[in-house]
Amino acid sequence: MNQKTVPVRFTLNGESRAVDVPAGMTVVKLLRDVLKLKGTKVGCGIGECGACTILVDGKAVNSCLMPAAQLDERDVRTIEGMASEDSLHPIQEAFLENHSVQCGFCTPGLIMSTKALLDENPDPSFEDISRAISGNLCRCTGYRHVFDSIKDAAQRKAGRER
Amino acid sequence: MMEELEYIRPGSLEDALTFLEANGGETKILAGGTDVMVDLRAGQIRKRYLLDVSRLEELKGIALCDEGLCVGAGVTISEIDSSGVLSRYAPTLQKCARTFASPQIRNVATIGGNVAHCSPCGDTIPPLVIHGARAVLLSRKGRRDVPVEAIASGPYACSLPSEELIVKFVLKPEPELTFADFIKIGRRKALAIARISLAAMARQAEDGMIDYLRVSLGSCTPTPWRVEEVENFLIGRKPTGKLLWEAGKILAEKTIAITGRRPSAVYKEPAVQGLLVKMLLPLASK
Repeated sequence: MNQKTVPVRFTLNGESRAVDVPAGMTVVKLLRDVLKLKGTKVGCGIGECGACTILVDGKAVNSCLMPAAQLDERDVRTIEGMASEDSLHPIQEAFLENHSVQCGFCTPGLIMSTKALLDENPDPSFEDISRAISGNLCRCTGYRHVFDSIKDAAQRKAGRER
Repeated sequence: MMEELEYIRPGSLEDALTFLEANGGETKILAGGTDVMVDLRAGQIRKRYLLDVSRLEELKGIALCDEGLCVGAGVTISEIDSSGVLSRYAPTLQKCARTFASPQIRNVATIGGNVAHCSPCGDTIPPLVIHGARAVLLSRKGRRDVPVEAIASGPYACSLPSEELIVKFVLKPEPELTFADFIKIGRRKALAIARISLAAMARQAEDGMIDYLRVSLGSCTPTPWRVEEVENFLIGRKPTGKLLWEAGKILAEKTIAITGRRPSAVYKEPAVQGLLVKMLLPLASK
């Protein structure tokens, strides 16, 4: 089916964007195919794996399930908006140093879910972490390293804010 | 000429109803998009318009009101999960939100969408049914209230006329419960489509006698269902383990009576019975 376009203005990783998107286009298609930000991954495309997780107004969402037209006036953060010019984000550092990255396909989504968690809860328990990443599948690590990374990231963030 | 899919975001409830009056038959209502976008991609939606109601303030909010406990149709599952009002007055609804899909889906999916999608596995439905919830529907012609059980005419078949919009649900608040629980059986913990779900709430007297009980079984039958046979069997009695097994048997038999003896009955019959016993066992220890 052909689709009419919708004008959408939103903030993407701190920069204003204005694009025309087809009515039924998903956010992840806009990010990857139109804006060429390939950090956000598509695993299942139906909201079961979490590889496409991004933040919209600070909340973790599946970008494969959200129509791009719904981004109008929203604040969007993707994995590309995590590192600064000269250093990685503390969550990224923690994931690298605790060996949470094997094939790496789930990593951007897990990092975005971690960011949503730590922004809301700087000192999460094991159960909090388990709940926060329950929508992100990882088939390599068995999650042990991921839990360690998130604990470590929380400590790093607390250290930096002091 | 090939018709084009159009995205419409009404600025007010009035605008949405006006649009539906004129174009309801050609419109798919969109809120969180977690079901609609999957169906759209699969080519299962052949409508001209997507009407995005996710930003309508009139569909938001959870509060006790004159009519009962009002939950806006546009309330997200995350909002249900964190609602203090619901933990007090509708604890099973809150409990179903805790295990609903995943955090990413809970952040956008709405209760109105979960009900209107008419999946037999909709997690919010058994809790709504035990609270005697009715959906408040608005159209340009006015208001109509429909029990939640009556919205689905079959699996994924919504009986509501296309010019109507669900604006809220009105539940009977239950602040005086001594027991409330929601359990689902799925293939994994997160993101499980329920194979069987069960919601129950009860009030037990000091001596253990059940004087109030509501039970609804989800996922097993084509449309939502309050299991009054089980309620009537247990009300006025002091439950023991043996009595609960009998209640479970009634639940399993009634389920099979509705669905017929399908191949899955070999699993479902004992699973349904066992789930009821497992859930209600705390009542027997009193």
